Amino acid sequence: MLGVNWWGLVLPFAYLIVLVGSLMTFSSMYRKRIAAKSANLAPWFPPHLQKNVYLSLLHLEPAEKSPAVPESILRAALLRRAVEDIRRIIEIRSAKQACSTLLQRGSVGDDLWQRFQRAEKEMEDELRDVVMEANALGPNWGQTIFQSANEIAAGTQFKTRLDEITSQTEEEKEWWEKRRASIQSEFMKEIENEAPESPAKKIGGSVTTDDDAVLVDSASNAGSIRKKKGKK
Amino acid sequence: MSGTDYSYDEQGQFFPVFILTIVGIVTIPLTYSVLKPSSDPGATAPRIKSDYKPEHGDLVDKQRKAQRRKDRKLKRAFTVVVGWSVMALMGYLIMVTAQTIPKIWNPYDILDISESATERQIKSHYKKLSLKFHPDKIRPDPAKNETMESLNSHFVELTKAYKALTDEEIRNNFIQFGHPDGKQSYSIGIALPKFIITDGNGKYVILVYAALLGVLLPYFVGSWWYGTQRMSKEKVLIESANNLFREYEEGITEGAIINALSTGVEFEKVLKGEKAESGLNKVESRILAEGAASTHAGGLAEKDVQKLEDLEGGVRRKALALLWAYLGRVDLDDAALDQAKLEVAPIAHALNGSFGAISLAFGATAPILSSYATAQNLMQAVPPGGSPLLQLPHITAKIARAIEGDSRTHLTLQEYMSLPEAYRRKLSIGPGLLTESEYETAVKVARQLPRLQVEKGFFKVTGEKYIIPSSLVSMVVKGRFIPPGSENVPAVNELDLEDIDPEEDDLDAILGRSKKPIKGEKKAADNKPVQPPLSFAPYFTKDYSPRWHVFLTDSKQGKVAVPPFTFTTVDKPIYDESGKPTFNMQTLKAQFQAPPQAGHYTFVLHVICDSYIGFDTKMEVTLVVDDASQAEEAVEDDISEPDEDSLAGQMHALKTGQPPPPKKKKVAAADDSSEEESGTDEEVVDTSDTNTDTSDEE
Repeated sequence: MLGVNWWGLVLPFAYLIVLVGSLMTFSSMYRKRIAAKSANLAPWFPPHLQKNVYLSLLHLEPAEKSPAVPESILRAALLRRAVEDIRRIIEIRSAKQACSTLLQRGSVGDDLWQRFQRAEKEMEDELRDVVMEANALGPNWGQTIFQSANEIAAGTQFKTRLDEITSQTEEEKEWWEKRRASIQSEFMKEIENEAPESPAKKIGGSVTTDDDAVLVDSASNAGSIRKKKGKK
Repeated sequence: MSGTDYSYDEQGQFFPVFILTIVGIVTIPLTYSVLKPSSDPGATAPRIKSDYKPEHGDLVDKQRKAQRRKDRKLKRAFTVVVGWSVMALMGYLIMVTAQTIPKIWNPYDILDISESATERQIKSHYKKLSLKFHPDKIRPDPAKNETMESLNSHFVELTKAYKALTDEEIRNNFIQFGHPDGKQSYSIGIALPKFIITDGNGKYVILVYAALLGVLLPYFVGSWWYGTQRMSKEKVLIESANNLFREYEEGITEGAIINALSTGVEFEKVLKGEKAESGLNKVESRILAEGAASTHAGGLAEKDVQKLEDLEGGVRRKALALLWAYLGRVDLDDAALDQAKLEVAPIAHALNGSFGAISLAFGATAPILSSYATAQNLMQAVPPGGSPLLQLPHITAKIARAIEGDSRTHLTLQEYMSLPEAYRRKLSIGPGLLTESEYETAVKVARQLPRLQVEKGFFKVTGEKYIIPSSLVSMVVKGRFIPPGSENVPAVNELDLEDIDPEEDDLDAILGRSKKPIKGEKKAADNKPVQPPLSFAPYFTKDYSPRWHVFLTDSKQGKVAVPPFTFTTVDKPIYDESGKPTFNMQTLKAQFQAPPQAGHYTFVLHVICDSYIGFDTKMEVTLVVDDASQAEEAVEDDISEPDEDSLAGQMHALKTGQPPPPKKKKVAAADDSSEEESGTDEEVVDTSDTNTDTSDEE
């Protein structure tokens, strides 16, 4: 009964201990790493500036001399916050389907989807928060604040697009002036020396003017498409 | 079984067989993978002939060579060599040890007599032998190492052998059990050499076992698993793909895509350590210097400059700066920087593929088009909005600018090449422009580029006259490869534009299977797909075969209606033996599901080549979807109802729920047509059995 060779059993036991031990360490480390990774995921959106402005205005300590923050400023700040929220919601909504299909296909990673879902949840809380704040500032304003915010967001977008287009006018004008001058001088030259190679030149000229016609067309097209998009 | 006894493989006769099998299982498939023809397009595809060497051509060549070396699968080849040598060694061992195995007990051999000997011969032979070898008659000879015992046993052997051949009972034993003494004890062999279980070696065996199962196996499984996890479907790092997804915007421009591509994690591998910062200032000052054709030499727009300057220093900023330097073909005056500049382009190209997939998931047209344009730009080292003429050798931004004059739009290659020869010469050759020989080189390349000119795009349902809702529609694009500046292009043959359906009983063709050469049919070789020549991209450091993407967009919504189908090969040769374009009509076909409602759908058909700038085609096509009932009526007018027992008839019965009415006897309107019909009818009946069989399998 005591003839068991304990030394002979050391190896198998050591093997078992090492095996089970290493598996356990691996699993705990792996879990910890996953948890740390998901906790440290970069937020989807940058810090919410408008929200911070609103909150700091709301919680401004009424110093002795400075007057309390007027309600109109608070309302404006809240509206700005709602506009930013609208922008973010649109971004999330348009990205949701794409993100899930890409995840299924294996084109993007799992942590992107986690970040996305977290952002979605945060946005829901944010919206509820804004509605509550709005109701506190004015009766039933919570029901309409996002409608007006939506209008504002669309209007701003439209305006920036428009500005982008109109800012090109100067440049375009300048170019056309230059072009006209060059064409004029070319024609003058052509009239001056009726060289035998004029037919070739004419063909070349016609090619370039064709190009210009196309250019005008495409420019106006692009403009109209942009406008349409802006209206959406 | 008491006689059972485990015997280890002392002579090593089974162990080599075991090892040989295991090694063979690994080595033989690996050998195939090493020796099989490489799928690398650079190996098989033709090239566009030109002796043009760009600036830093040596650097480009060096990187191409390095790339090829990487693709050569050296590790795998080494493993194969080791595997085969192990197998050869084991084979040798088997051969050697096989001789020491005791032979099968054979009485004829023992008696040293031929197997055809009769019983009488055996008897007389045995008598002779017993006279000679009987222990009473023979003295042991110490010189031959004989003792009394060995002589005794030898005689017993002889007697046994003799009895096996003459005695009935012993003969039966011999036939049944292979031995005259009857059943021998079993021995079960284990294909392990004895040294493994001998005392004292046990701990080493356990050590090896632990190393195999505890270290190597987890290591390989882990590295495989994390390897697949790390890469996205488009073969970029998943982290890069995530970053690209975050960079996506609805109205993203090509410059912004370049900026987005710089978020790739892959660049960190190329720009390791001090490379991440070194020379950044130099690169930036070079790309932001005034360029010949644009405000900046790198071809950046003001917005892109802003974005570059907003970045913090580090890998991303350097990668972006290098990318712009590559696109603007800016000379960086430093071998290491120029090398890095060429290195970032293929990485960015791969990342752009991932970005394309992402923008496809969003479905908006503009980013997809921008992504394709970026692929072209990266391939040709032309900045966004740069002149397509830059694709030709020797043409620099300055020369392109001079050729185009002060026009705001760029000349495409085909426009440039269709200018009258004399005028084009005058534009291109001169002081500060191209020399005569440079011009010739450029034009020679231009005349070889495969530009697909789309002649017709239409829709159809195979075997039907009308497109009904939700049917499987084939989009057929017919086009010819017409290199820019081709002369004497033949007129389009109207017959080529039609798409002829395969015969109704030709299931292979209908299902898109490759056709087997049927006896008596001549065009077996014609069906082989033809590879287009490799992209002419002297600055891009990877061999790349051009691809054509065909897709439909809805111009009203700005969305993609039918996602891209990609074609890497075409069905007819593009060039003949002497390198002249053949102008064959090529067919690109893709299938998609028709919309569920009847109506007229207007789509924009895009055919985009991802390697050359300015070769894209965009045309309007209309998909007419008819109501199912309407189409059916029209069908009844035209074609007779299918026979009840034919495949089409059964399909019809399935669709409508009732068998078609018995076929009306058709009045022979035209002799030849009726003849043909009767012919095919018979065939349909003949093949109906096999047809139903195949459809059952599906």
